[in-house]
Amino acid sequence: MARAKKKITYEYSSDGIKQSILRQARSLKIAPGWAKQIADKVADSVDKWMADKDIVTENDLRKKIIKELESLSPDIAFAYKNHDKII
Amino acid sequence: MSDIVCIATIILAGITQASLQLGLGGLILLYHNSMGKHRRKKTRYLAKNYILGASAITFLMVCTLCFLIGNFFGGSLSVEWLVICIGIFAACGAIMWLFYYRRGKKSTELWLPKSFTRFIQKKARSTDDNIEAFSLGLLSNFAEMPFSLAIYFVVANCILNMSGQFQIIAALAYTAITIVPLMVLKLRVKTGKSTVEAQKWRIQNKAFSKVVSGSSFMLLAMFVLAFWVL
Repeated sequence: MARAKKKITYEYSSDGIKQSILRQARSLKIAPGWAKQIADKVADSVDKWMADKDIVTENDLRKKIIKELESLSPDIAFAYKNHDKII
Repeated sequence: MSDIVCIATIILAGITQASLQLGLGGLILLYHNSMGKHRRKKTRYLAKNYILGASAITFLMVCTLCFLIGNFFGGSLSVEWLVICIGIFAACGAIMWLFYYRRGKKSTELWLPKSFTRFIQKKARSTDDNIEAFSLGLLSNFAEMPFSLAIYFVVANCILNMSGQFQIIAALAYTAITIVPLMVLKLRVKTGKSTVEAQKWRIQNKAFSKVVSGSSFMLLAMFVLAFWVL
């Protein structure tokens, strides 16, 4: 009998998104001021996008963040998208 | 066997092992995660220890196999063992061309068990001190053993066939060749390039590196066949 996958849910946090973007920016040596502006802009637009939703999947959230990042900093978007696809 | 043939075999084997991608991928992951968390100096030390770990296991494996061949194979591998190694090289070459990278993805994911890659990713993310970085280097190099074990056997055999005064130098030179890609990455990051650029290069040149790895294995197989078996 196939085992059902365990579903994990956690609360959305705007700060968590900012921190993860700042972490990626630091590893790309992007100036801290510019990185903070990017993180704030992305977190704001994700907040707006989330406002009318009760629940979203991690994948959708990730796609939205990448979409926002692509216009602001393609390098951070690339790192965000690919950091778990290196090996 | 002349020293020139031994040196050529060692260089070709070194290039073949250097073309494997897991060690390089592990270092990129370590760099990327560490630069997001630590100061540059700390990241530099972690990378240095990772490379040291990878070098240590390569050198120790070669020395261990030299000891084993010296004591249990009568000082040199027989033709049968060399033919087995050639078969493994040919199989590895075909695997490199066909299966090494996961297909149809714009990434450099390797065809490894998911649980294993997750383990390395987790380790690279949580590596905070030099010993952990050293052991990550050991681990990622050790994980390449299905491809590199036969190479180690042939290299150890070559080293034992060389004159006594060159044996340690040959083992060190082989180790140095295998860590060239890691050193290049370290140098690039030191001169201001980011890991994203390195990763973009790897994605763009995925087919090229597949051909280089596969062809090196095939060349090594032919070289050993021509100079050591026939």
